[in-house]
Amino acid sequence: MPKRVLLCDDEIHILRAAEFKLKRGGYDVEIANDGEEAWQRIQVRRPDILITDYQMPRLDGLGLVERLRQDAATSDLPVLMLTAKGFELRLEDLAAKWRILALLAKPFSPRELLQIVNNVLGAPSASTAAPAETALPVTA
Amino acid sequence: MPHACRILTAHWPPMAEQGLSSLPLGTIAGLSWPLLALAGVTLGLALFAAWAAVRILIYQREKTAAGQYLETLARLESQDLLNEAVIDRLPSLPSDPFWSRLADLARDSLLRHAAWVQDQTLARTALELKMGRCATELDRLRSVFRNLEDPILALDQFDEVVLANRSAEELFAFQTARAEQRAMRNLIRCEKLVHLLSTTAQRKTVGSRCDEIEMQDAQGQTHWFRVIATKFAETGAADAATGTLAVLRDIGDQKALQKRNAEFVSSVSHEMKTPLAGIKAYVELLVDGDAEDDQTREEFLNVINGQADRLQRLVDNLLNLARIEAGVVQVSKQHHSLNELLDEALRVVQPSAEAKNIELSADLSPLYLGVLADRDMLLQAAINLLSNAIKYTSPGGRVTLRSRMEGDHVRFEVSDTGVGLGPEDCQRVFEKFYRVNKDKHMAAGTGLGLPLAKHIVEDVHGGQLTVESVLGQGSTFAATLPNAGQMS
Repeated sequence: MPKRVLLCDDEIHILRAAEFKLKRGGYDVEIANDGEEAWQRIQVRRPDILITDYQMPRLDGLGLVERLRQDAATSDLPVLMLTAKGFELRLEDLAAKWRILALLAKPFSPRELLQIVNNVLGAPSASTAAPAETALPVTA
Repeated sequence: MPHACRILTAHWPPMAEQGLSSLPLGTIAGLSWPLLALAGVTLGLALFAAWAAVRILIYQREKTAAGQYLETLARLESQDLLNEAVIDRLPSLPSDPFWSRLADLARDSLLRHAAWVQDQTLARTALELKMGRCATELDRLRSVFRNLEDPILALDQFDEVVLANRSAEELFAFQTARAEQRAMRNLIRCEKLVHLLSTTAQRKTVGSRCDEIEMQDAQGQTHWFRVIATKFAETGAADAATGTLAVLRDIGDQKALQKRNAEFVSSVSHEMKTPLAGIKAYVELLVDGDAEDDQTREEFLNVINGQADRLQRLVDNLLNLARIEAGVVQVSKQHHSLNELLDEALRVVQPSAEAKNIELSADLSPLYLGVLADRDMLLQAAINLLSNAIKYTSPGGRVTLRSRMEGDHVRFEVSDTGVGLGPEDCQRVFEKFYRVNKDKHMAAGTGLGLPLAKHIVEDVHGGQLTVESVLGQGSTFAATLPNAGQMS
């Protein structure tokens, strides 16, 4: 049974590109348009990994991660973050405080995103893929 | 005839007749020589006494005259001593050479003294004038110093505050004149500033140090200052006492500008990265051969094309905004009918309103509303306002464009039944890249449409663009422009 990825971004074409690549990588991909929608989807069904944008309406990426970490059912959910922000975000801070595994700056590479997901979830394809430089060890 | 001869001739008629010359020596009038000698001596003494008496009288008179002269001279004011007319009116000098010489010497001495006094008086007057000018200058400098906007402090070599202007006293909440404890550390509560002043004072040579320091005033408000601390010597001597001068320049505006610039750059980069991310992602999918059929490839290429267009619109808007802000935009103002221009804007946005099932209506004034405008720019402003209203109105809602005459102005407004704005959003909605957080999901946007419209209406056309809104009920953006009247 394919592992489940929840993609969350308010830019529909970004969502579609990532969804397309991850589905071709053998994952079951679900999408959400903002943090609030992602939170509701997670409550219904816990994914194996969350990939979320940082800046979104209603509930942003950090707000979503904060909720996840406070909930026992999702406190260990692996999270990757996408962002078009520049110097405001530092992976070291995000990793230390929210256990975010990787921070991908937009424009990002779908190929690289797939590799990181493979590394994190240990998908069969990950054994042949080069490890992504930006991926941190899973700490959750 | 002398009196003595008349006596002799009265007693000795023959002698008178014969004449004294005929008398034999030693027997004149029968008197003996001793007697005659006595008479002669007596006569001589009498004559001498008379002469002496006369001399004494003359002496007394000369002395009195000299005394009067000197007394009159002494009573004269020093300036009168130098006045020839006054000197001419003085009592005449004694004729006696002694008194005359004495009076001359006294007068010369007094004249020299008077001249000295006059020189001293002139010097004193000049000095008093100079002191007066110095006092005036000091007052002026003190007033300037007191009222300088930048806080200024001066410390002596013992780190005690010896001088502070009003701004400094207000900033640190003390009064130099009343402060009993003038030690810097008692009056200045900013550790970083105290450290800067201390280290400056400890330098071995005179010179300045500069630092940017954030500190709180007495009311607890935070300010940013660029502090220039200068060690100085009170005189030019090598062993002179030293002090430290601190001039605090408020750089709050500069800091705010730096922050706004950083936010602007961050916003621009964010807005550019988003379409770039789409382009890069879909190009990579195509390169990797993920699109296995023509339909998928065409779909990806359309996305790339759309994102490239979005990027171009963003760059165009940025450039337009920058050109207007810099005042280098080519503006071609001509007389236009506002209603015709608004009609065209309606035609442009009609398809997007229909696509979203929004009722787009016009309530234009039946009067001719003339505006002196750059047609393309004002049309762009109207389109931006209408597009914004359509974006943030839910399907089934209504957007209305109105125009009317208002005295010497014309007004057009775009009202919608959309999501509306809160008070804070109303304040910030014309800021570049500001997008209402809760409504971002409703539509894609660059966050530049409304700022651009405001610049076009206000900076280019001298009008005013305002917004009134009720959260959840809708907004009205109203533009007023000078009425250009009928076309001549």
